[in-house]
Amino acid sequence: MNLRPAIVLTSLLLPLTAQQGNLDEFLKLEPVLQAALKRAGPFVVTVETFGGTRHSMGKDGPTDGPAPPKPRPKPKKVEPTPVPTPDELPKPLKPGEKPKEKPGEKPSEGKQDPKNDKPEKKDKKKKLGLVATGFQQTQGKTSGIVLTSDGWIMISRFALNLNPTTILINVPGHGTYHAERVGEDTSRGIALVKIDAVGLPVPKFVHPNDVRVGQWAFALGRTFAEAEPTVHLGIVSAKNRLFGRALQIDAYTSPANYGGAVVDIHGRVLGISVPLSPSGRNAGVEWYDSGIGFATTIGDIQGLVKRMKEGQILQRAWLGVQLSTSHLGPGAKITGTPKDGAAKEAGLRKGDIILEVDGVHVLNGPHFQMLVSSRLGGETCTLIVKKKRKDEPIEVGPITLKNAPWSEQRKGKEDLPASFSLPEKEDGR
Amino acid sequence: MRFAMIVVASATVFTAHVLTAQTADFGKAYSFDERKPKTQIERTVHKLLPSIAKIHGASGLATIKAYATGIIVSDQGHIVTLDQILLQKDRTRVVLFDGTVHDATLIRADDKLGVRLLKIDPAGVNGKLQPLWPPAEEQSKYRNGQFVVSLGNCFRLAEFSEKVSATFGVVVGKANTALRYRMADVKYDGDIILTDACNNPGQYGGGLFTLDGRWIGLNMRLLDSKETNTMLSAALPARDLLPYLEEHVLGKKRDVVTKKVVPVWTGITLFEQAGRKSPPAYVERVKRNSPGRKLGLKIDDMIVRIDDFSIRSCKELRSVLNKYKPGDTVTVMWKRGTRVMTGDMKLAEKPKK
Repeated sequence: MNLRPAIVLTSLLLPLTAQQGNLDEFLKLEPVLQAALKRAGPFVVTVETFGGTRHSMGKDGPTDGPAPPKPRPKPKKVEPTPVPTPDELPKPLKPGEKPKEKPGEKPSEGKQDPKNDKPEKKDKKKKLGLVATGFQQTQGKTSGIVLTSDGWIMISRFALNLNPTTILINVPGHGTYHAERVGEDTSRGIALVKIDAVGLPVPKFVHPNDVRVGQWAFALGRTFAEAEPTVHLGIVSAKNRLFGRALQIDAYTSPANYGGAVVDIHGRVLGISVPLSPSGRNAGVEWYDSGIGFATTIGDIQGLVKRMKEGQILQRAWLGVQLSTSHLGPGAKITGTPKDGAAKEAGLRKGDIILEVDGVHVLNGPHFQMLVSSRLGGETCTLIVKKKRKDEPIEVGPITLKNAPWSEQRKGKEDLPASFSLPEKEDGR
Repeated sequence: MRFAMIVVASATVFTAHVLTAQTADFGKAYSFDERKPKTQIERTVHKLLPSIAKIHGASGLATIKAYATGIIVSDQGHIVTLDQILLQKDRTRVVLFDGTVHDATLIRADDKLGVRLLKIDPAGVNGKLQPLWPPAEEQSKYRNGQFVVSLGNCFRLAEFSEKVSATFGVVVGKANTALRYRMADVKYDGDIILTDACNNPGQYGGGLFTLDGRWIGLNMRLLDSKETNTMLSAALPARDLLPYLEEHVLGKKRDVVTKKVVPVWTGITLFEQAGRKSPPAYVERVKRNSPGRKLGLKIDDMIVRIDDFSIRSCKELRSVLNKYKPGDTVTVMWKRGTRVMTGDMKLAEKPKK
């Protein structure tokens, strides 16, 4: 067998054919992109918000609400205050004498040492947020997509961060409409609004199971220009991110296209681009333009859309168990059950080991966390638990999961995030 | 002793030989001219590079870079770039494609556009300059998602005869948004071209070109959009430079329109609280026989848009109205309850008394 000439021939021919065929191959992408834009353009809408308060989104900037509650301080033992004997009662002061202060008492408000006052001032500055870090959200436009032809519009929850008083939606070719907030899903960063319109263009949605990692994903937005949507190129970087809620894409996503559609080359919607981050409470906005963007998938959440249409605010689930980090499995070992948690009410205690969640074998703690985090508040789950000092595992449930305490709507003025305004000049640089 | 001398001599000869060989190789390997461009991007960059000049000037503050990029626009040595602090008299130098350094004189800047022309002496240039000119109107069109190449000396990576950097991206879209550079507002209020081709310090003043070599934009600095508070990689449409270039390069006289500033009057009083952040433009009172009354505005209506400008606060409404003069007709969009209404309003002059 003399293969050498054949090998030499092919090795000579291969680079030639490869080069000539592929050098300008990428130019074929441009018409495909244009076609996708043409198909996807009509259902990407502009969302304008008015009113509300401006605030900064620093490292702990919330979208789901304020940071998780701090552990409660242990109640101190209250010692009964001794009844003062006549000798301990304050004596009337002589003229020129200063009143003595007890070491534990606070100085009276009128007479404060200037030295003692300084650290308090610093704390106040921090509270007011005069030194703002991170991204500053402004009142302005974002994008959204049409969900149904009878006026349901899905937008990014980012647009509602400032609690706007008015939302207007401009559908290209149809006009501007007043929108009303209906439902939200804080865990996915999306919100539903309703406008009074009919005959809107409706997109086709792709089920996340049909998405392949590496396929083209174009992030559209209609924030800046209302005539034509803006477009950023990218690919799908990963599937099933954030507990199966989102796709990760590498197209630039920023407040300029949050709420806009992420489409494939056929103009079908893969998802809606939103700021998210794995911890669930950080804004995710600080990742804008970084190559890490998230697109919440819509093809698989028809049931949730129905719930949101009824006006529900969906939040991440919270079972209320603290898990052992040293227990490597099988199962997840409980080391504590906080007071208000669903687990405590269901009778779970320290030392119990959770073996199954709804028929899925729990491998270890993180696996259990993943199984619960993908749920929403209000859903139920059934556990199989091996109780402490008992041999036979028992079934517990169905347990109704609660909303995560840190995703509750903020109440009271003190929880409002820091705000400050940038100096705005009329003209001049 | 003699032996050692021979060794040293041979060593020097050898090193000299190696050095010359290296420089020759360096020239061969890195010279752009000797390679034939194969792809469309290569062809475009190859064609355009001789028209791009590197500009070095006085360094300003620590954060302001002392380098930029310019585009040659005439064979008399005119170079257009962004008007920046580094451009100072007697301190501005231009490095051309072939590495030759030229002193540049400054020509009056256009404040509105924020661009400035430099001029070098064409007599001192080797060979001929290859000027570019903003293309005709049909040629300067672009679509969203179109591939573009941005050329510029980003981070001053290119020294002497090294060529400026080329970055590749798409046109993201056309935008008309309020712009800010650091803390100050930008005067330019026309359309800008957004792109995702990198626009780093030093790339400012460079060009944005389509793949068939049409000049569509002049790179701007990294600006912030006041609407979204995000950084934009933007370019000034090349077409918008034409009046300025024609005036100073071709010597055409521009029609100077002297406007007598007359404030417009709508007769609308807005609901505003002193000392607060400017709230949305809610109508508090409308005077009789005023343009606002003729339009049909009522109390508690919220003005949302005037022509293409969206109004998010009372302050924005005032600044938008300042762009018009009495007698102009504007389309006003307002919100009454949950209804959105539109109508035309003819602006008037404030009646005396």
